[in-house]
Amino acid sequence: MKTTITLLNKTYQFNNVKELLAKANEEKSGDQLAGIQAKDAEERLAARHLLAELTLSDIREHPVIPPEEDEVSRLIDEAVDEKVYQIIRNWSLAELREYLLSSQVTGKEIDWIRNGLTSEMIAAVTKIMSNMDLIQAAGKIAVETHCRHTIGQKGVLAGRAQPNHPTDDLNGIKASMYEALSYGVGDAVIGVNPVDDTPDNIKKILTMIKEEIEKWKIPTQNCVLGHVTTQMRAITEGAPADLMFQSLAGTEAANEAFGIRIDLLDEANELIHKAGTAKGPNRWYFETGQGSELSSSAHHGVDQVTLEARCYGLARKYKPFIVNTVVGFIGPEYLYDSKQVIRAALEDHFMGKMHGLPMGVDVCYTNHMKADQNDMENLALLLGTAGVNFLIGVPMADDCMLNYQSTSYHDIASVREILGLRPAPDFESWLEQMGIMNNGRLTEMAGDPSLFYTV
Amino acid sequence: MDKNVVYTDQTWQTRISAPRHKQGLWELVKATPARIGVGRTHTRPLTKTMLKLQYDHAQAIDAVRSEVSRECLQAFDLFSVDTCFQDKETYLKRPDRGRVLSNDAVKTIKEKCLSRPQVQIVVSDGLSAKAIETNLKDVYPALLDSLEASGLKPGTPFFVRGGRVACMDHIGEILKPEVLVLLIGERPGLASAHSMSAYMCYQPRQGTIESDRTVISNIHPNGTPPIEAGAHIGTVLKKMIEQQASGVRLQW
Amino acid sequence: MHEDWITSAGIDVGTSTTKLIISRLKINRVSGSFALPRFDIVDRKIVYRSPIIHTPLKNREEIDVETLSGWLSDQYQNAGIQLQDIQSGAVIITGETAIKKNAETILHHLADHSGKFVVAMAGAHLEGILAGKGSGALERSRQVAGVVANVDIGGGTANTVFFKRGQVLGTVTFHAGGRLIELDDTGMIHHLSPSIQPWLRHHNIHLTNGSRIDFPLLEHITGQLSQDLTDVLTGQKSLDQLKPLLHSTTVDNIPDIQDIIISGGIGSLWQNIKQPANLRDVAIYKDMGPLLAYQLKQILRQSTFQIIPPLFSSRATVIGAGMQSTELSGSTIYVDPSILPVRNVPVLSIDLTGITGTDDLSQQQLKTLIHEKMLTGKKIFTENEQIPFALSIQGLEHCSYRFNKNLAHTLHRSYRTLFPDAEALITVCQFDMAKALGHSLKLLAKDDYKIACIDQIDVKHGDYLDMGEIIPPSMVPVVIKTLAFS
Repeated sequence: MKTTITLLNKTYQFNNVKELLAKANEEKSGDQLAGIQAKDAEERLAARHLLAELTLSDIREHPVIPPEEDEVSRLIDEAVDEKVYQIIRNWSLAELREYLLSSQVTGKEIDWIRNGLTSEMIAAVTKIMSNMDLIQAAGKIAVETHCRHTIGQKGVLAGRAQPNHPTDDLNGIKASMYEALSYGVGDAVIGVNPVDDTPDNIKKILTMIKEEIEKWKIPTQNCVLGHVTTQMRAITEGAPADLMFQSLAGTEAANEAFGIRIDLLDEANELIHKAGTAKGPNRWYFETGQGSELSSSAHHGVDQVTLEARCYGLARKYKPFIVNTVVGFIGPEYLYDSKQVIRAALEDHFMGKMHGLPMGVDVCYTNHMKADQNDMENLALLLGTAGVNFLIGVPMADDCMLNYQSTSYHDIASVREILGLRPAPDFESWLEQMGIMNNGRLTEMAGDPSLFYTV
Repeated sequence: MDKNVVYTDQTWQTRISAPRHKQGLWELVKATPARIGVGRTHTRPLTKTMLKLQYDHAQAIDAVRSEVSRECLQAFDLFSVDTCFQDKETYLKRPDRGRVLSNDAVKTIKEKCLSRPQVQIVVSDGLSAKAIETNLKDVYPALLDSLEASGLKPGTPFFVRGGRVACMDHIGEILKPEVLVLLIGERPGLASAHSMSAYMCYQPRQGTIESDRTVISNIHPNGTPPIEAGAHIGTVLKKMIEQQASGVRLQW
Repeated sequence: MHEDWITSAGIDVGTSTTKLIISRLKINRVSGSFALPRFDIVDRKIVYRSPIIHTPLKNREEIDVETLSGWLSDQYQNAGIQLQDIQSGAVIITGETAIKKNAETILHHLADHSGKFVVAMAGAHLEGILAGKGSGALERSRQVAGVVANVDIGGGTANTVFFKRGQVLGTVTFHAGGRLIELDDTGMIHHLSPSIQPWLRHHNIHLTNGSRIDFPLLEHITGQLSQDLTDVLTGQKSLDQLKPLLHSTTVDNIPDIQDIIISGGIGSLWQNIKQPANLRDVAIYKDMGPLLAYQLKQILRQSTFQIIPPLFSSRATVIGAGMQSTELSGSTIYVDPSILPVRNVPVLSIDLTGITGTDDLSQQQLKTLIHEKMLTGKKIFTENEQIPFALSIQGLEHCSYRFNKNLAHTLHRSYRTLFPDAEALITVCQFDMAKALGHSLKLLAKDDYKIACIDQIDVKHGDYLDMGEIIPPSMVPVVIKTLAFS
């Protein structure tokens, strides 16, 4: 394997694939915190040049975390379709990039080639793609999924209604949910982050959302984002859940810090398919985000882009209905400013789609990051053009329970309006029946949560 | 033209002009602190709603950048030492540096502080100096009262600039208190840019894990009432000393 | 997560019947683990219901206390409950029984001998509120926009309460009940309650004990009574116009009622009532109850009210007393346990609403305000020198340390001066500040007098307060007997 490169008489040496992958990254404070970043901008470019020269087999044969040490590594490697891999194994990453961007290659070809790719290969090619590359390539891939209803069609931008409340008060959750619905948001899922992660509480919230869905005949699915084990207990006790939720990390050790293992996810998978209230094949909601492995010191010296790709390698095993990268939640020590957040979001969205996943993005930031709402509006539009499956909707972008800023109900409606995107078809018909939308545009009645108020 | 424009909470309120249920809308808005029932101009928010969001964010940004004033520290006789944080940007990017006291700081506290106190009180700006400016005057004396009412004895309190929660462990190693309480500024939210947390630990030392710490968070005038938080800390510390435990192992 | 159950008893000694329930109240921590502890009653279960018995009377003027006590201890035994297990609850003497000669003695006897913290209650308005809680009217009012009225009609009185969005608007009690006229199937009047006489006279009806009444006249009487009751509830007639029917009221006018629930003995007869055809059909309980139930049902149905079935009818009051009379204080409080339990303490209220800190109110103003308030207390509450009153502090949502300290100093000085022999000072704060205030007071009072400072309880001037022993980790059960409405 090639390990040195000379650019204009200056020679750069890299010890292994892991180091090369890390140094080829765009600047991220998380890689700096881990102490694995390129020492300057030129070294970063040297790494990128050399990486472009490596073959797909170089990446596969030099695993960043050995399969014998890590169950996520094993899962990813075992999932490779050897027939496809044999055809492409000698492609350089530069060739893979150009293939993905070529005019002959459509979503169909990408559906085929992904079977021969590991998560690390997808991460590697991401590092030599510009932002616009990532948008254009991801835009070719439409991932349709079906839980109670279908989302992910071309031209569709769905929204998660995230009606969180600081004390899980059911009336408070309802109020915020009504606001979401009145803006045409909630087709991806009505999903609540609970403050109190107990089976009783999760059951209570799931039941309330379910009752509202049935009362108003809303074509969507419910979810309460507790820990998988808490949801399992709630569901076993009869809680009506369409989706099972869990946060994922890209290494076995980081997943352990999350309190999960693959066998636990398998068990949960069986339960949600047996006892879940939806009928469709896709019953999971996963969340990821760059930096979580480092925050639990379980990153094995691997960069956060590569680790993020490995989350998707794990996620695809369970054919999720939606996957959401919570891109700017974790703080400035991982993504310092809006430039880094925007880059990470485009990387994650592309990498997820390359894995065949129904990617949504929580376009977000915390108050100690160097970012503001304008940056989020920019990013939401970029993702809309890239064909993101869904965005997160929070009242005026301010989540009063998780204390961070995301995109608003208004923003989702605006991205649809500006880019000519539509809600999921079933949901749009329902919005029309409710008088909230007409021909894809909000009506006079829209934006009034009291439409759903009854006593 | 009146030259003075005055904004109050009422001024910022925007509403839907003709809601389906007027009373219903009012009840929904009251049910949550979330910014709902705010209305729109086509798909965009109304001007005041948007400016209010930006204003709240501006307060949060300023809170992160601000410093605790000398007067605030003098009012409670707190001397000030630094962690290895260097500057605000490094502080944000390198949380590890905020967990370790500088060499000067180690020397100073060894000189000035009572060693092996029963209760060590430490105050730090953390991510919001405004949190300290706003709440210390209520939390700190209420905490002293509660120590007295619980029969506990404080050591020599001080202020740490650029601290992270785990700086408790380093201080614990140096002063070996029986229990330590750290009053520290939280990451500012939009609802409050001046929210403080109290982290408490029985015998904090290097390697103390998160679950060994007991926390009261969201302390500010519109959240956990500051005087009541201060009053409660004494009870918690007393329990820690009785049970020789803190965090998840502390029984209630 | 902390979870605990306490046992609560409810006892209702009424005009015609007596009953007891034992319930279990689930107490859970409702605040997150990073917040100050806050507990609440999150579930209520009935674990035992006694049979409904005739209230044992020695004669028309006296309750038979021996029989009643014996019956209660049998019931406790049947329920498998020891007296010391009962941590909360209430005993209420209702209807006409409350005016029996020995009612008050019995009430306090029962309260003292029914468990560790069982509160004595009497009075038509409290009865009305408890019945409205037990019938489900209070809960319903939380779910609908309009006013929900509960009319609990027993033997002697119709206790009416009005709720709106979970708040009590007021109560009215009427002289209307099934046992106001006791008779046999020949129409012989065995007892005519003095309470119904003014109303009968108002309608020019003349009856006497021992005389006979025929079926049409009884139909006329129950029909007129039902009509008057309905007219006054719908607002067709004012309370003033029907003074002879009125027992007591806390409102001047009846609010606009949306939903109505009929509970009590008449409420339970109402469910399956068939039209009584003659005196024999009426007098099955030796009173006019069945005919009154039938007539009221016919007449109320023609009103605009939506009639809602009660969750509990004849047991509504006892269930309200047993399950919904107790509240929990906040969990960061300061209470000297040696003064508990305290019973029947009148509330003196000081309103600091709108005061945010030291700037709004000078120290001198605060001093004057509190001293004058305590002087008032000294004048009107003379019964108990040990604990003359509980001071309710309204307002102070955001209390600064400085204000808290000033408040403590001021309270201490006035209390010491005016009540030098008092054993304890009880303060009840509206907002979460009691532990800080309690510490400040304790540091001033030293061992001179004891301190109980609790919060997050809404009490007003004129209420009475009972406070039970500490429930671990750190709260007290409180029963508020509301006598006044806002």
